[in-house]
Amino acid sequence: MSPPRIQARGLTRDFGGGAGGYGIDLEVAPGEIHALVGLNGAGKTTLMRLLLGMLRPDAGTVLLNGRPREAAEWARVGHLVETPFAYGELDGRTNLTLAARLHGVGAPEAARMVHSVLTELNLGRYAAVPARRLSLGNRQRLGLAAALQHHPEIIVLDEPTNALDPAGVILLREALVRRAAAGAGVLVSSHHLDEVARVAHRITVINRGRVIGALDPHGIDIERSFFALVHADDERAARGRPEDERRAA
Amino acid sequence: MTGRTLAIAVAVEARKAVASRVLVSTALLLSLGVAVLAAATTAAAHAGNEQLAAKLGPLALAGGWPGLLAVAAQVTAAAGLLAFGVGLSWLYAREFTDGTITGLFALPVTRPTIALAKLIVYLVWTVVVAVLLTAVVAVTGVAITGDLPAATDWVGLGRLLALAVMTAALPVPAAWTGTIGRGLLPAIATTVALLAVAQVVVVAGGAGGWFPLAAPALWAVLPGTVSPVQLLLTATVPVGFGLLTLHAWRRLQLDR
Repeated sequence: MSPPRIQARGLTRDFGGGAGGYGIDLEVAPGEIHALVGLNGAGKTTLMRLLLGMLRPDAGTVLLNGRPREAAEWARVGHLVETPFAYGELDGRTNLTLAARLHGVGAPEAARMVHSVLTELNLGRYAAVPARRLSLGNRQRLGLAAALQHHPEIIVLDEPTNALDPAGVILLREALVRRAAAGAGVLVSSHHLDEVARVAHRITVINRGRVIGALDPHGIDIERSFFALVHADDERAARGRPEDERRAA
Repeated sequence: MTGRTLAIAVAVEARKAVASRVLVSTALLLSLGVAVLAAATTAAAHAGNEQLAAKLGPLALAGGWPGLLAVAAQVTAAAGLLAFGVGLSWLYAREFTDGTITGLFALPVTRPTIALAKLIVYLVWTVVVAVLLTAVVAVTGVAITGDLPAATDWVGLGRLLALAVMTAALPVPAAWTGTIGRGLLPAIATTVALLAVAQVVVVAGGAGGWFPLAAPALWAVLPGTVSPVQLLLTATVPVGFGLLTLHAWRRLQLDR
């Protein structure tokens, strides 16, 4: 059996003042779209940064395809965290070509890849337009194309539907479903519960830097379930420090 | 870091540099600026502006090729440090100000490889700028004197070229501070500080040859006062701060 695409155990990074991630366990299996949901500042981006090496954990481990992060095969990873990887002075095609090359793709193969992803995400019109002239939504599409074009086995996307129009949201959803069907493990963060429910196989709820539960993507009222979880966690925090924090301190 | 990943990183950085307005406009501004300033101030000094003549020294007063080259060297030492510093600051710090740094994580081409590629592209850019600057000054010299350079003037042009390349080595600390400070402002501030310190030491003279930031300028303006060993010491600045920058990119975290 192949290992999980992503496996985090006890992942902790404390920024002080209650900000950070605390003891996070998480798995993304091959073929799975796993959504992280949480309010703003809940710790979704911090967790993704920890998984991708943008932050070093205070404690805990990350395995990517069963390998420790230091020995990860990064050519098999695609990510978009916060800012789309697009240089304003370069046009869409050049930006994508450079992103493919940095993922270790050879020059002739990169050209084919770029052509294919421009079609897949309907970016053909903007192939020759400098990124600085693109709308926010099209820049986001370009960033997603850079993350997905090399058909990575591990996909990490932070709020990927940010600034996307409804057509872009559908294109992204289809692109993720295709890649998951081909065996990729996909981790997406979002605060759009409806959107996440349509595409995710598994939904994990994050609050105050901790995993506080899961939602059933096929549940009837996941919004209510989400707020019930968050509210209960906030109540616990207001009553006093939870058990795990006491132990850590 | 392997040969292949370094080649990829250099190709990527070169593509970005060629499309960059900052690098192209800085190159043109510096080359034309040095030539225009040198021509104008030499002419003014030669025409009897005593204050200017006192500042520029006896060579400028001589006018012609020697005057032009002496002033061009003085201007290049100062303006070159600033211009190269701006270009280098942009090369590194733009990844932070544009937010593209997140895309430089989780890649098979490692961040120290990318940082080294930036330094290589910077080196190539500075050599191109140095050649362009020297060529523009040479053409300006022919235009205002009506004479082709004599043998000593060729030596002066060669010295100007070498000065420009050596000056480009001095702002490398800005790459490091731009990384540590995660932005353009710390890098530019470092460049300005380096310029200020270098100018103070050059003006003070004395043992300035032992000070790497001042040695190239002193060598170009007063050739006999700086030894080859002192000039070689200039290399400690780009090598030392280049290694520090690579280390900073290796250890980089997006924690602020």
